[in-house]
Amino acid sequence: MKIDTPSLTRALIGFAQFARSKGLNVGVEETFTALRAVDLGVFENKAVFYYTLKAIFCCNKDDLPLFDHLFGIYWETKNDDTRKKSQHKIINPQHLPKQQSVLSAWGLGNGEQKQEEDSKTVTGGNATVRLRKTDFSKVAEMDASILEDIAEKLWREMSKRLKRRMKRRHTRETIDLRRTIRASLQHGGDPIELRHRGKKPRKMRLVILLDVSGSMDKYSFFLLRFVWALQSYFEQVESFVFSTQLRCITEALKTKGLEKTLKMLTPQADNWSSGTKIGECLKSFNEQYASRILTRSSMVIVLSDGLDTGEKGVLEGEIQKIRRKTRRLIWLNPLKGMTNYEPSARGMSEALPYVDYFRSAHNLESMLELEDLLCSL
Amino acid sequence: METSINDISALISGFDRLGYVIDEELATVVFLLLKLRKPILVEGNPGIGKTELANMLARLLDTQLIRLQCYEGLDVNAAVYEWNYQKQLLGIKIQEHSTLNEAEKEKNIFSEDYLLKRPLLQSISAKDKAPVLLIDEIDRTDEEFEAFLLELLSEFQITIPELGTIKAQHVPYVILTSNRTRELSDALKRRCLYHWVDYPSMEKELAIVYKRFPAIEHKLATQIVHFIQALRQKKLQKTPGVSETLDWALSLMTLGYHTLDEQAIARTYGCILKSTDDIRMLQEEGVESLLIV
Repeated sequence: MKIDTPSLTRALIGFAQFARSKGLNVGVEETFTALRAVDLGVFENKAVFYYTLKAIFCCNKDDLPLFDHLFGIYWETKNDDTRKKSQHKIINPQHLPKQQSVLSAWGLGNGEQKQEEDSKTVTGGNATVRLRKTDFSKVAEMDASILEDIAEKLWREMSKRLKRRMKRRHTRETIDLRRTIRASLQHGGDPIELRHRGKKPRKMRLVILLDVSGSMDKYSFFLLRFVWALQSYFEQVESFVFSTQLRCITEALKTKGLEKTLKMLTPQADNWSSGTKIGECLKSFNEQYASRILTRSSMVIVLSDGLDTGEKGVLEGEIQKIRRKTRRLIWLNPLKGMTNYEPSARGMSEALPYVDYFRSAHNLESMLELEDLLCSL
Repeated sequence: METSINDISALISGFDRLGYVIDEELATVVFLLLKLRKPILVEGNPGIGKTELANMLARLLDTQLIRLQCYEGLDVNAAVYEWNYQKQLLGIKIQEHSTLNEAEKEKNIFSEDYLLKRPLLQSISAKDKAPVLLIDEIDRTDEEFEAFLLELLSEFQITIPELGTIKAQHVPYVILTSNRTRELSDALKRRCLYHWVDYPSMEKELAIVYKRFPAIEHKLATQIVHFIQALRQKKLQKTPGVSETLDWALSLMTLGYHTLDEQAIARTYGCILKSTDDIRMLQEEGVESLLIV
């Protein structure tokens, strides 16, 4: 292919600027690399040209749909000298895998929005930010699967970070001979500085009590995913669901996986929507599991809206028992995300004095804030 | 030699001769790696030949492959260099009664003989020709190491305080792979050419199977690939990659099957599904829908 270099250079720089203005992270360096690539003069066909720019201008899987979109717009509609020479239809991004179709939908959907907004974010960035702040109960059908993906990714990252931080803490136990000798070198062979080797600290034990009653219906689905994310990275996680009865789902999650557990729970949750007996459920937790599971190093997270229909006073007594046996008690209430929310529901106000942290859990953002809490333990 | 590769089609046919099926897109990226000497970052699901790409490139260029497998907690000692201090201690003892003065003694024990070269240092100290440096699963390292790598990839030099700065005589061809368990830093990504590898299409996967096992029967190969392609559409814990396809094909051939049937699948579940949940799911759902006759 014969290329008219000066005009191609101009067109390329134009494309880089265009891409930047539309939100691709393209800097001078990328443009320069693209020009160098052009100088190689090896473009046998349009496809190679497209692949080259793609490799240079994208730095993330999420960039790809936006790039395709922009490439199509710029090189197919702009009518200058360069364009006339490349009349052939430029690759259309049909071969992109199906997972990306969602993202490309965002890319296109965000098209108009991006015109007005500051365009530093990549494709999907806006949607991600928006969804992170959306209340779980208000997520549209269509967005639900996207949100699931984001949630899974973010929670997985969070679990990983937590895991790493825990490994860093070293308890001093035995002398690490190898590192001691190494350190002694700078003191002429005298082991002045002793280096220690410790066991990896035990992972913290997490107990999760999840309310799946009718009033929590919209939230419990996402919260269960959260539980799942935590469970798959912490070995010592015990999880329970309750509405009118308590049920241990640790085993179910471990052996059946998330999807099946969700399916298994759904019909029951419907039947149970008659009312929530938080107090009763915590009581059976205390009777059946607490002595075995709760230790001074464990942390209990209750995910519930605190709308208790059981007898007065039961919840207070039981939550007190739990508090006494654990290191931290966290209560996550999705309703707390609403403006003007006051924890005035009887169940909630009974429990509140014994709770160390009372947080909201109505959207992704708020769930991610838990990270600080979890790692402070 | 790299000089013999002057265009992309030469690259494709070169890989083809080695038995590696490469599409034009990836070939373009590799070509840019060879010509621009910019590192490439290859992302994609496990088991679709990311590591193999580096292997094949090294064979194609007839050069050394240096591999750095990343893991959590990988540090400079394991990745760049380390003084062989046991040997140094011995060296000190040996020199104790020699007539050398102190400066000479010191120079002795901090010479290259006492240096343990780790992959990154090896890659820039290659003498005769540029090696291929594969930094595998970069997403598993810590951010600190990533920052260090960034410095190395832009300067291609390493400073050892006792020896001075070692600059690469031949800039290595760097291939980074990532399974996307974590987002890499922007700075590192911008240093690299990016390529996302997806599961291959039916035709490409079939071509890969034929390439690897020229003797395979046509029907069996088609059935295997069709089955795997259909399986990937399902929600699995671990989606089988190309390496699973190849393992499976080999197993079935070794067991003497000519066509794929339920019994054959039942005997060889372990080749394609690596999670008990997935196996159970498949057993419950049955395999009829995935099979073509």
